[in-house]
Amino acid sequence: MSNDVTCERLREIGAELALGVLPGRERAEAVAHLDRCAACREYVGHMTLVGDGLIGLLPGHEPPPGFETRVMRALEKDATAHEGDPHPRTVGPARGPVRGRLRAARLRTASAVAAFAVAFGVLGWAVGTAVENVTASPPASSSVTAGSRLLTGSLTSASAPARPAGDLYAHPGEPGWIYMSVDLADAGTPYSGQVRCTLERSDGSTVRVGTFALRNGYGEWGTAAPVDATTLTGARLTAPDGTVLATGHFTGGPKT
Amino acid sequence: MIFRDGRAISCRRRTVYKGVPSFRFPVGRLPDEALLAGLATGDPELAVTFVRRFQRTVFGVAIAVTGDPQLAEDIAQQTFERAWRHAQIYDSRRGSVTTWLTTIAHNLAIDAVRARRAEPVAPEDLDALLDAVTETPEQWALADEASSRLRAAVARLPREQGRALVMAGVYGMTARQVADREQIPLGTAKTRIRTAMGKLRGTLAAPNRGDHVQ
Ligand SMILES: [Zn+2]
Repeated sequence: MSNDVTCERLREIGAELALGVLPGRERAEAVAHLDRCAACREYVGHMTLVGDGLIGLLPGHEPPPGFETRVMRALEKDATAHEGDPHPRTVGPARGPVRGRLRAARLRTASAVAAFAVAFGVLGWAVGTAVENVTASPPASSSVTAGSRLLTGSLTSASAPARPAGDLYAHPGEPGWIYMSVDLADAGTPYSGQVRCTLERSDGSTVRVGTFALRNGYGEWGTAAPVDATTLTGARLTAPDGTVLATGHFTGGPKT
Repeated sequence: MIFRDGRAISCRRRTVYKGVPSFRFPVGRLPDEALLAGLATGDPELAVTFVRRFQRTVFGVAIAVTGDPQLAEDIAQQTFERAWRHAQIYDSRRGSVTTWLTTIAHNLAIDAVRARRAEPVAPEDLDALLDAVTETPEQWALADEASSRLRAAVARLPREQGRALVMAGVYGMTARQVADREQIPLGTAKTRIRTAMGKLRGTLAAPNRGDHVQ
């Protein structure tokens, strides 16, 4: 093709591409080049970071009085509007698992391209916007009732129980959610690879809620999960071979 | 990842969030990512905490781009609605929650401006914004190291490059629009944008790779 963008040409227009101001035709040709050129993807990824950084330099500004109330009203309205959606993307009891799967799928995809995550930044959040219709359905307003009864806990490393190894958060609900930040390196376990997260209940039963990756002992992860404040007691992280890497107990939350 | 490796993020969190009370954890102290994850559950307390934490930043972006308080408020509100609907697709590996939100707000603001305004930005607004970006004492104090480096680099740009950068990067003007606005050839406008961005790119490759650009 005569109008193939070369690397040299890409470096001329990469800044404009990253800032989102390249006219349509040039943009399409540039993106086609990025599709097949890792070096230029990285270049444009860096330029995108610069652009994001520039936006981050803009001074903060207090919104007008009442803004917070208006936003909250809009969110509630939005939730109500989707309650009786005749074409629900996620329905009733299926919501939790479906969302969990979608999130897991997204995380897997993200891991696979982690090395190029910066490079893909130029498509970055725009890609997220493009898939919004299949991924995100706001919670029904019926779930907008629970007060914040957040459970918290600390992770400890299985090999060095005295050392803190991360934080746990769990929010009750169907689905509720869990979130953790893991830091096993200081506890002497700079593990890299997949870990499985299992929740433990007071009756001794367990439920697997998903897997995520640690890098040199560090990682953070969250997912939708069934969280019952009256029965959830702890969480455990295991390596694929079954080795327990860390355990944690939830200490916060309502007394029962 | 270059700036956002998990180690840096975890180190920061360890410092800030260890030793918190274990009972009735104050949601105001949740990490941004956890708060966003919780937002997806529709919990009103988490939602209002989220809005309070970020409204100043989000509205700041919207007002900077549009210069119109009413329009900026609409944009800021839409930004939170979007964040609320799409909390699940946020991925911390792509950047901080703040960056995610400001990107949403910026895109919405650019779209709104493109739809509404045929006139390019007023000269005094452009210069005021460039000054604000390079001289904001309050943010100097709060900013992380990467932001400070970037701010300093913007301040060192020749004025015409800084203007071209703000026009393209903040107002979303094309090189053609920059050229018309500055009454310079198209090639010159493109060169200014590219040169400015190239200089700023150098600030990313700093010795301390531990923090993200905000
Ligand atoms: Zn190339």
